[in-house]
Amino acid sequence: MSEIDPCDWCEEVLQPYLDRDLDATDVQKVKHHLAECSWCEKRFKFESDFRRLVRQAVIEPMEPELKAKLAALRLEL
Amino acid sequence: MQETYARAFRSWSSFTPGTNLRAWLLRILTNLNIDRGRRAQRTPDQQPLEEGDYFLYNRLESTSGGTDEERILDRLSQDHVAEALAAVPHDFRDVLVLVDIGEFTYAEAAQILDIPIGTVMSRLHRGRRILKQQLADLAVEAK
Repeated sequence: MSEIDPCDWCEEVLQPYLDRDLDATDVQKVKHHLAECSWCEKRFKFESDFRRLVRQAVIEPMEPELKAKLAALRLEL
Repeated sequence: MQETYARAFRSWSSFTPGTNLRAWLLRILTNLNIDRGRRAQRTPDQQPLEEGDYFLYNRLESTSGGTDEERILDRLSQDHVAEALAAVPHDFRDVLVLVDIGEFTYAEAAQILDIPIGTVMSRLHRGRRILKQQLADLAVEAK
């Protein structure tokens, strides 16, 4: 059996999943696994909540005007 | 002001006249650099890092004495996060600030810092590990 353990695989793709840098097929695989594995599901939820905590800890709200300018810039990248 | 930012802001300001991106990032850096002397004692970049992305959760869970899993995140205060972030070496922290706090994409962070996108990804990966390691230590100490 060379099949990788699904929990190990999910741990490996956790960061790209949250960064939305995972392709659609893999995203579906993750979602499917999380629906049936509460052990991984808890850890994914924690990581997602953790990222929010990090953002809030040093929050400096951007002015709407700056946000809009940066959003416009993104099209040019 | 770090040299990487100085370089980055030159390129950004050349095609984004009048934006306050510089001021915004500078405020974050200022917030983090308060009390820098004490934080500088830690040298996380030279310590071996724990493996695995589930590391922080596992560590908090194993030292929580059966706390409700919903409350595990509550063991990390915003002060802990700020202190841990300040202890991340600046090359890694720059990328963390841009991607995880500023919510810039990898490509945008690469452009702002004038580094290859692969470098953004590897620094992000290591920076997140260092941050978690710092936080795990702080949370367990505070228990």
